Formats: sequence, structure tokens, C-alpha cells
Amino acid sequence: MAPRREKPGPQVREFGSLPVLAGGRVMPMDSLARVSLSQWNHHGTYTRADRTVAEPSEGLLEILMMPERADSAKLFEASNPDILKILGSPNAQGFVLFSFTELKPYFDEIEKQAGLAERTEPESRNPFQRGIVKLRAGLRLYLELKNTIQAEDSRDFGKEIEAFGRAIQPGLNAVRNRVAGQPFSQQDFRRILVFTQRYKNLVQLKYASAIPNPQRAGQNDGWQHISEALLSAIRDGRVPYAATAYGRLIAGYRANDAVAFNAALRDYQGYLSKIIPEKLARPKLEFAFNQAQPFLQAMALYVAVLLFALFSWLLWPKTLSKTAVILLITAFLIHTAGLIVRMYLQGRPPVTNLYSSAIFVGWASVLLCIILERFYQNGIGSVCGAVIGFVTLLIAHNLQLDGDTLEMLRAVLDTNSWLATHVVGEALGYSAMFLAGLIGIIYVFRGVFTRSFDEATSRSLGRMMYGVVCFATLFSLVATILGGIWADQSWGRFWGWDPKENGALLIVLWNAIVLHARWGGLARERGLALMTVFGNVVTSFSWFGVNMLGVGLHSYGFMDRAFGPLIGFIVSQLTIIGVGLIPLKYWRGMQTRQIRTPPQSPATTCVPTDAH
Amino acid sequence: MTNTLGRWLKPVTSLKLTVFCLACAMVLVFVGTLDQVHIGIYEAENRYFRSWFLFWTPPDTQLRIPWFPGGYIVGTLLLVNLIAAHLARFKLSWKKAGILFLHSGLILLLIGQLFADIFIDRESQMRLHQGQTKNYSESLYHDELAIIDTSGDDSDQVISVPDSQLYKGNRIALPADSLELVVNDFYPNSALVSPSKLPRPAYPHLQIGPMADAVQLERTYKEDDRNRPAATVSLLQNGKLIDTYSLAAAFPRPINFQAAGKSYQVVLRPKRFYKSFAIQLLEFRHDRYAGTDIAKNFSSRIRLVDPSQHEDRESLIFMNNPLRYRGYTFFQAGFDNNDTTTILQVAQNPSWLVPYISCALIVFGMLLQFGMHLVSFVRHRVIP
Repeated sequence: MAPRREKPGPQVREFGSLPVLAGGRVMPMDSLARVSLSQWNHHGTYTRADRTVAEPSEGLLEILMMPERADSAKLFEASNPDILKILGSPNAQGFVLFSFTELKPYFDEIEKQAGLAERTEPESRNPFQRGIVKLRAGLRLYLELKNTIQAEDSRDFGKEIEAFGRAIQPGLNAVRNRVAGQPFSQQDFRRILVFTQRYKNLVQLKYASAIPNPQRAGQNDGWQHISEALLSAIRDGRVPYAATAYGRLIAGYRANDAVAFNAALRDYQGYLSKIIPEKLARPKLEFAFNQAQPFLQAMALYVAVLLFALFSWLLWPKTLSKTAVILLITAFLIHTAGLIVRMYLQGRPPVTNLYSSAIFVGWASVLLCIILERFYQNGIGSVCGAVIGFVTLLIAHNLQLDGDTLEMLRAVLDTNSWLATHVVGEALGYSAMFLAGLIGIIYVFRGVFTRSFDEATSRSLGRMMYGVVCFATLFSLVATILGGIWADQSWGRFWGWDPKENGALLIVLWNAIVLHARWGGLARERGLALMTVFGNVVTSFSWFGVNMLGVGLHSYGFMDRAFGPLIGFIVSQLTIIGVGLIPLKYWRGMQTRQIRTPPQSPATTCVPTDAH
Repeated sequence: MTNTLGRWLKPVTSLKLTVFCLACAMVLVFVGTLDQVHIGIYEAENRYFRSWFLFWTPPDTQLRIPWFPGGYIVGTLLLVNLIAAHLARFKLSWKKAGILFLHSGLILLLIGQLFADIFIDRESQMRLHQGQTKNYSESLYHDELAIIDTSGDDSDQVISVPDSQLYKGNRIALPADSLELVVNDFYPNSALVSPSKLPRPAYPHLQIGPMADAVQLERTYKEDDRNRPAATVSLLQNGKLIDTYSLAAAFPRPINFQAAGKSYQVVLRPKRFYKSFAIQLLEFRHDRYAGTDIAKNFSSRIRLVDPSQHEDRESLIFMNNPLRYRGYTFFQAGFDNNDTTTILQVAQNPSWLVPYISCALIVFGMLLQFGMHLVSFVRHRVIP
């Protein structure tokens, strides 16, 4: 039969916003798809065997309902040469994608190697060990996903559920009669036994719970894995509606019957809005949020801001810088919207994990930059806002690969008041530190390499850095002490020399050094600039470095992938400091100034030296 | 008079000294934090922050060469510098008010922490099985050799010999019945093995029991592990040997003996801190997020019994909600044995109020100071 042209395809987007319980929270299917895909490959994409890329929800649909096709999709990434050797691709280079089917012959070896690697503690594993453990975890996740709403080996799960539903009552009768020593139907008895055993085995592969079951509201907030739903059906005497609904969806999808699929989808949505209307709003919003990708949009805009602001220093200063400011504010508003939606979805203050700290640090820096630009109107605020906004969102984008960014919080973090004060305060401190550091970098570059470094510019850069450092000191000192008070309230001691505490202390100490060196006349504008650049080093160590140590009560933010980039960043900052140490007479900015104006002593500002 | 004092104070009041001390503090904190990877938080704290100097021991020697000031020196210098600077330049003016507040907050914080550091018992833990009652907590890091006089009617007399006194050849006179303790052998860390598992029969070991020998291990600094010492000690009375005992902290079973007509016990065990009240674990709960193993909350329902204060009540200890009683804070630190044992961390901090006051002073001072800067900045800003 020729396919009917007018037939619309299955409504993937509607499917993508269906709710499912995974990682302790109700999320849309689309988020489940994205979180899972990012565990498998660093692009987070679903690449079919024919190399076409499917939408995440579409990919998940395939995994859930037509696993035999999903098995050939190129999902699993390997890049470590030693792992590639194990996977029979000794000559491959870079990131290589494998399908489940392609990996099948190597399962035993992967299992063995991952088992060996797991005996090493996570912090001391080498790249091969980390990679192989991750690959096995990815394969496990894939297996679990395939068995989320059906048993993957079922030819037609819709029919199977129907048959199961019909077998429950006769089966129960047979069991009852057998226990009572009365004659019973062997066939009914055996059938229900087979089903029970099958679903008990399926429980082993439980990951996400997609079946809302109002009859089991007491457990897991009323969410069940398909296996649990079917097993509880034996006790309740009937199959939960949601399981049947998924059965119909699977039947429609597998028969390539979009009309049936879409009709079943509409029925199921209608059912959901009757039984859990209060739980639908967030997954729907989260789906829209996933689609809109506000942080990616903001990133693109920040790049545009940077270009406009940089060019404004060369030509059409008024028009270009004004455009840059308007774009910066637009990007900031999008950034803000994304931040607020995340806060609403999680029901939490903005910073709850490393990912959200990156988003927030960027946001706060951009806000400070807008304020600076409002005061100085010299394009510096725009450039800084663009750079920090872009870089922090890029960092966040990479941190996304670590899993669900809206994850539930570990027990000790489960307190909104401290998250809103101590954690937000520290993040504000970080933003100001990076902003001051970036102004320092601009000071060095404009001074050493450009002729645009007149005295007014130099002085205003100095005042900007000073103001921002004061802001950073205020927030990091107060937030650190608040952290101590939190520790006193929940651990009974104010200070425990834990790495994260020490990291915060380093920032406070460095700021104190900067301010006292300035007040004591030990550092003038150039000294201040170089010191703020070193502040970048201190802050990045405190933000990411201490998490890599894997020690202490705060080490839930453990991550090792960022080690290389962190070292690279620190080296770059030290290089910039080295450049800034070039004697002033070789600075282009200074040379021009000497030609134009009679030499003057470098400007100092306001505070007398005895302001101790 | 003021002048001479000022001249005399000059070097101590200089901003250069401030910057130098702050820089030393940064180096100390940075190096100490990195070293935590190898020696753990507790040991790093002792070596870097609760010390006068950092020591370097050249390989294969017993020398301890100081190479950098430790936390106490840097902290004290900063404190002296801060106080001296304010004494020498004290002027009551609005312009300086913010800085005055800020720095008095800092001085208070530093003194409070120093005080807390010197006068407080270290943190300890109380492990309770379901239903168990204890009136003591145990040190996480230190052990003691306890000689217990069990002849009393309703209480025992405990003589505690700290592990710092336990080293080979040491003789310790005990304050009861002219008892004397001689340490014949001591392993700072040990493991118990079955006698048949010894690499060879002559391998150095202490025979703890018929089924267990203690063999020496390297000291451990791991966070989730502790050192379990073992020792062979002889007890003497009036110079006459009572008996020789091999003891292991990994198997803290008391051994009975008689002296001066009294029943005694000897045991090597984690150092105990006795309290005048007792705590019983009624129920431990470990809640997880729906469908996951991620911990949502840990809680211990306990019964607190203090006969001297006529207290006998239930309380719930959970994350971010410790029990505070008579200067002690009991907080939920962990669990064990399939969620049937709770681990409560016990901390004591008489100067707990200080950070709150200093925080208020510092915030107020900074807002005042930076606020004034901001106002003058906005007023005088130059637009190029």
C-alpha cells in the first residue's frame, strides 16, 4: 500500500513534553532525551545509521518504541586511543561514534575493563579508566531506556499488555484455587506465572518511571516503571491506564500509523490533565525552555556585542557603541529570562550546582558591565559584558555534559535560605573578580599594544578596577563568613579548612592584598591591573580547581574534565601578567602619550596612604 | 609619649607588613589545600594552620627544618599589625568609621577563632545502633589506652593514656594503686590477620588472640579510613609484673585483671569523651528522591537523657538541623550498616556567637566605607 501523502507524521513535539520521573524529578521526555544523549556523546546528538541527525525527542521515541532501529544509531562516543583499540578501531582518531549493535561484540571486554577500572578510586583513574567506566554506564543507561515503557524484546507490547490484562483475573483465580487445594486451570496458572517472572526481571532495568498511577500515590510520588506498574496490576486487578496508553502509542508508532499514534497521544494527554493537572505545567515549560535555548541565543548576541563594541573603538564610535549597548541589554534580558525559568522549574535560588553557577556568574557580571557602561560610556563595559557573558555561557554549555542541570540537590544543600545568601554571594564575588580581571587585561593590552591609551582612559580603567574590586571584596568576604555561619548551624563549627572554604578564603585574602597594596601606595594603576589579572587565577582555582581535589565535605561538585582548560586559563593569565611587566617605556600607549603630552607621574587616586 | 610609642610601633603598623602577612597567608592556604589530597584535611590542618612553622624533613633524617611561618604566626602577626595600626593612627572621623567597624569585626573574628582553636576539644563522633544508648563520643583520629577500675557500684573509674604517650619503651606511672605501664611495642596503624595468613611465621606481629595477629601498616591519611594502633604493654604494681597484654584498637575488647584486690580492665580503643548525659537512637531514616538513590534527607530520632538536669525527651537531628545541648552540637554526619546505624558528629564551640557579631560589624563597616566611596565616585565621575 502506497503511503498516504496527506498523513501527518507522529507529533514528536507533543510526545517530547510528556512528563516522566527521572533522577528524582518530573521532567519532559525531551529533557530525558537530552540528558541521556549528553551522557553518550559530547554533541548530545542522535545520529541515525544514515548519518541524519534526529531531534532529541525523536531519537528517544525510537529508543523507547522501536529499539531494534535505535540499536543502529550512532550514539556512543569514544575518543581515547586505548579504548578505540579495545573496540576494534585501532586506527581511528578523534571522536568516533558507535552504535549499540557495533559495540555488541565487545560487551564482555568493556564489562571486564570497566570492572577493573572501578576498583581504582574515581579521582585517581586515568583517561582510559574514566572513559571505559563512562562507556559502560552509557550502555547501561541505553539498555534501561529501551525498557522504560516496554520490554524491548516484545514484538508488540500493546498486544502483550492486552493479553496480560486478560490473564490477570483467571490467573488469580487459578492461584487462589491452587492454594485452597481445589481444581484449577494449569494453563491460567502458568500464564500468570510467566508474566510475573517476566516483569520481575524487567524491574532490574528500571531507570525512568513513565507511568503515573493514582492508585499507587504513596510510593515514588505515584510514578512507576512499566514493570512495577504491571506487577502492581496483578494486585489491583487491572492494568494502569497509562501503561495501556503507552501500549497504544507503541502499536501506532511501530505500525507507522501516525494517525493512531497521534490519537493515542491526545487521549493520554487528556488523561494526564485529569489525574495530575498540577504536575504538567513544569514539564511543558521545561520543554519550551529546551526548544527556545535562551542561553545559546544569548551567546550569539554576546558575540555580536563584542564585534560592535570593538569596532566602535575604531570607527563610528557613537552609532556602533550605542548598538552594542542595545544588543548587550537584549542579550542580558534573554539571559535573565533563562535564569528565571530555571529558578522556577527548580523552585530554588539561582545557584545550585556548577552549571548554574556559571550561568549566574555570567549574568551578574553582565549586569555590572551594563552599570559600568552607563557610568563611563566608553565601550569597556560592553566589551567586558560580551566576553564574560559569552565565556561563562560557553563554560555552562560544556558543564551541561555532566548530566541533568536541574538535578535534585544533595541533602546538605537542601536549604533555600543559605543557597540564596552564601552561595549567591560567593557567585557575585566571582563575577566581580572576573570583571575586574578582564578590565585589567584590557588595561594591559591597550597600554602595551595600542595608541588609544591616553591618560583619561588609563585613569578611568583604574577607577573601574578599583570599584569592581571593592564590590568583589564586599561580596566574597560577607559570603565567606555567611558560609561559616551555615557551617556552624549545620556542622557545629565555623571553619573546617575544607578545600572549598579555603578557596573562598583565598579570594578574600587576595582582595585584601590588592586593596591594601593600593592604599599603601605599593601598587598604582598598572600594579592594580596586574593584580586583578592574577585575581582571575585565584578565582578560577576557587571555582573549579578545589573541586578537582576530591577532598572534603563540599566535593559533590567533582569534575575532572576541566583540568586541561583550567591549566590553560591559568597559564594565559600568567602570560598576560608577564606582558604587563614589560617596562613602561616600551608600552605603545606610553610612547604615544609622551609624544603628545609632557611626561607626568602616573596618576593616583583619592585615598590617602594611611587609610589602613 | 604618644610620639615615642608611635615611632616604636611604626614597623608593626606598616601596610607593607599587612600585605606581606596576607601574602604569607595565601601561600599557606594554597599549599595546605593542595596537600590535603595527600594527607587529608585533619593532618593538613595540624601541619599548616594550627602550627607555628611548616617543617621540612630531609629524606632519611630526623631533622625538622622550619621553612615557612605556620598559621599561628601569620594570624598573630596580622592581629598585632591590625591592632597596632589602629592604636597608632586612631582618629575618630566619619571618613574612617567604616574601616574601623570592618577591622574591629575582623579582630573579633580572629581572636574568637584563635580562642576556639586553643580551648576546644576536637570534633568527635557518636555511633549509635538502633536502640543503643551512649554517654560518650569517640575521637576520629586519636586512641587511648584505658585502664578501667570496674569495682565501683554504679560508675567506673577510667585512667586514659593518650596515644601520644604510647611509644616503644615508655614507662608511665598511673595515678592509682601504684600501677605502672610499660609500652613494649607499639604500631601506630595495624591490621588484624589470621595467624595462618602471616607472610612467614617470624614476620613481626603482635598476638592479639588465638585467631588474630596484628601486623604493622603505614599510617593512613585517607578521609574514609583511620589509623588503628596495636600495642603490647606490661602492667606492673610496685615494680612487680602483673601481666603483659597485646591490644588492638581494631578489636577493642577489654581484658580483665586484678590489682590491689580490685577488678580492672585494660583496653586500647578510640579516645572517648564522656558527657554528663546520654543519647539513645530511636530511629534512623534515610530518605531518597523518588525513584533514585540520591539522598534527600538523613534523620535520627533520638532520646536525650540528662538526670542532673531532669531532662528526658525526644529530639530529631537532620541535615542542617543539629541538636544543641549544653555547649555541644550533634549533627547528622553519616550512617552505616544498611541504614541501621547513625553517625553523629559532636562539636563544641563556646565562641559560636562571635562570627555572627563580627559578620554584622564587617558588613556594616564595608557598606559604610564602600557606600561613601560610591557616592563620591558618582558625584565626581569623569566621562572621557
